[in-house]
Amino acid sequence: MKQRIEIGILYSRSGSYQLVSDACRMGAIRAIADINADRRYGIELVPVERDPQSNADRYATLCEDIFRNSSARHVVGCVTSWSRKETIPVLEKAGGMLWYACPYEGFEANEHVVYMHACPNQHLVPLMAHVVPRFGANGFLLGSNYIWGWEMNRVARDLIADAGGKVLGERYLRIGETDVSRLIGEIRATRPNFILNNLIGTSSYAFLAAYHDLADEDPAFSPETCPVISCNLTEGELPAIGETGKGHLSVGPYFAPRPAAFASSFEASAYASVQVMADVLSRDPDAGPAEFSRAFAERRFSTRLGPIAIDAHSQHATLPVIIGRIADGVFEVVSREDEVAPDPYLSRYDPAKTFGSPRLRVVS
Amino acid sequence: MSRTPRIPNLGGARAFILHRPHPTVQAIIRQLSAIGLETVDCWPELPPEALAADFVFFDADLGFDEQFPWKPGEAPMPLVALIGSEAPGRIEWALSHKADAQLLKPVGNAGVYSALLIARQSFEARKHLAGEIALLRQRVAERQTIVRAVAALSKGADDDRAYAQLRSLAMSWQISVEEAARRIVAMTEEEGGDDQSHRA
Repeated sequence: MKQRIEIGILYSRSGSYQLVSDACRMGAIRAIADINADRRYGIELVPVERDPQSNADRYATLCEDIFRNSSARHVVGCVTSWSRKETIPVLEKAGGMLWYACPYEGFEANEHVVYMHACPNQHLVPLMAHVVPRFGANGFLLGSNYIWGWEMNRVARDLIADAGGKVLGERYLRIGETDVSRLIGEIRATRPNFILNNLIGTSSYAFLAAYHDLADEDPAFSPETCPVISCNLTEGELPAIGETGKGHLSVGPYFAPRPAAFASSFEASAYASVQVMADVLSRDPDAGPAEFSRAFAERRFSTRLGPIAIDAHSQHATLPVIIGRIADGVFEVVSREDEVAPDPYLSRYDPAKTFGSPRLRVVS
Repeated sequence: MSRTPRIPNLGGARAFILHRPHPTVQAIIRQLSAIGLETVDCWPELPPEALAADFVFFDADLGFDEQFPWKPGEAPMPLVALIGSEAPGRIEWALSHKADAQLLKPVGNAGVYSALLIARQSFEARKHLAGEIALLRQRVAERQTIVRAVAALSKGADDDRAYAQLRSLAMSWQISVEEAARRIVAMTEEEGGDDQSHRA
């Protein structure tokens, strides 16, 4: 008889970033089903699900609801950094843990959160190191108007300065806003070498479509000369983007081969989250933050993403860094580096190693 | 164009935590390690190596002056006060050490990163201001030298012209007006000395 352990699932089933949310939820649900069917695990995971409907204010109350009305102490959930930060005080009060399966902007290391997707040294820094020598260092920065966009663009400003480039513009749209005509006008006027896209959901799709139209009018804005680069774009959103995304770049710990075990890195990372959680809980069903911290310090975990280490100090995962180019419904792998240790505060970032010395670069 | 100063990279910085063994110390060490700092905890005294530390966290509740290898208010690095009891006497003591930031105990999962950034910024600002004040004091003290230099250059004639000459000398020597005045006074005194030796 397997011991039943309730775990919380906190993903929105509707709203502007639903595709990402669905991908994460799918990964968690699939992992739960696989673990429950696997005789090697002495536990049965029972999902306790709540739907915040993409409303940032509902995450904390629904997380509290999970802790109050079930025995769950672990929650797989949250997509936006806004919702994660809203949830943290509830986790601290209840002694719970959040398994966070999305890329984020870094500069956080909470004992009650396990960060299972990429942080800036695993996404933005290697992406910029790839783009600057090939396209140039002058960037235009876009973001949805909340912490992900603000903080990503703050790091990008520093990186662009280190690379000897200029920030030609920095613009934010409300989450869900699809009027991008002003952004397009400004990009057309300033002629950057690349565009860093931290827009999310429907705003991002609207921007890529309008940028594609701009490239039709002026080939200077084709992906071969001025790519749109993202740190959170995956296969899950390609159906919404269609042809307009072709040739642009994204970075992540996983891009789906064909045939693929997972449809996107969000799904893969949520799946791996449940695997690591189940691995520890099957040995100690009452494990709390302290026991997890000890397990992270002592062990590596075998997951469907391969062996995973989790840094015990920061609770961030060691991950592959893959840069992908959008092709027909898939990402072609442009470069890959395995087992990149997390550095959420960029304390090991070295401008000279990342970009070389800008003064020595040939100016043509 | 002035750019806001960028967030400093704290990787590899060393922090000393002056606090008796306590879960608060563990909470601080955990956060510091996650940010990428090296940590040393000590009690009741700061070891000699602390003089080279980048940050010092100190206990405001049980701390006393003799723990520090410097006089109150003269720490050569940013200080963060760890405040548990908000007794006014203890806050007064922490203030006498010119803490640049504070953390309230018990320390939980956050707070250390912002304390580091705020402490570093206000320490730098304080150091910069102190340097500027010292420089200005020195310049004020040189007023008499300037008067003597102008008098030497004008030889009793046009003071305005002599002052303009002093400024242009300072510019061409690429030094401050005060420094130029010192040189001129020194030269005049030398010349005077020479004159006297001729006479002798």
